[in-house]
Amino acid sequence: MIQMEDRGNVAVIHIRTPSIDALSAREIEEYCGRSRKTTVLDFAEVAFINSAGISGLLKFIVAARKRGHLVYAVNVSPHHRKIFKMVELSRFMPILEPHELAQLLS
Amino acid sequence: MNRVEIRIPSDLVFERVVRAATQEIGRQMGFSEERVADLTLAVSEAVANAIEHGNRFQREVHVGIVFSLEADQMVVRVIDQGRPDRPLEVRRQGLTEEALQQGDFRGLGLFLIHQLVDRVEFSTSEEGNTFTMWLHINAPDEQARRQTP
Repeated sequence: MIQMEDRGNVAVIHIRTPSIDALSAREIEEYCGRSRKTTVLDFAEVAFINSAGISGLLKFIVAARKRGHLVYAVNVSPHHRKIFKMVELSRFMPILEPHELAQLLS
Repeated sequence: MNRVEIRIPSDLVFERVVRAATQEIGRQMGFSEERVADLTLAVSEAVANAIEHGNRFQREVHVGIVFSLEADQMVVRVIDQGRPDRPLEVRRQGLTEEALQQGDFRGLGLFLIHQLVDRVEFSTSEEGNTFTMWLHINAPDEQARRQTP
């Protein structure tokens, strides 16, 4: 369900599930502790996220911050941008545009 | 469509079934894709709460979901058989730095529901709890509504 692209100081975690909910969030939580200095979560294949899924993402963010790492999001749909802003998640996981990710990886 | 009823065991796997049904019902009712997404998330949160806090994950105890049309509103009732001492606490704001540091992510689901639907009501009786949500069918998208002064 998760594919990690490790480029040393930058990692991209591709979330390969259409739904981040109570059941699938556990798999994201398993990646706590595997963040890099800059870690980007790729939501390209994600069609649904609920509060249980957001909690799983937050646990990942908290673990990364404890290691001094930053977490970003990319390929976030307009609906999920709205939800992330609503719960203030985007304060702790800023959203990158695809070209910004390309610059990070170049 | 005037009324659709679904009953599921109290297992989060079946919340996904309700979600799929909600999307289809929302589209049939003529909601925009953005409103369908809002509706689906709100119903998902209410059903997950009923499974977890109402029926306490007892698979043999069911959660009922009733979709109905009342004038120009879609009404969704989520019914469990639990007896909480009091309604669940509604978070007053989104995430804060303090909440993040304390790992306190409780109440996000209810917070989202209150942001996404037009009206919410919680009632309790000897038979269980009913969480009711109202959505205006012809309302503009949630985001557009909230940006209107």
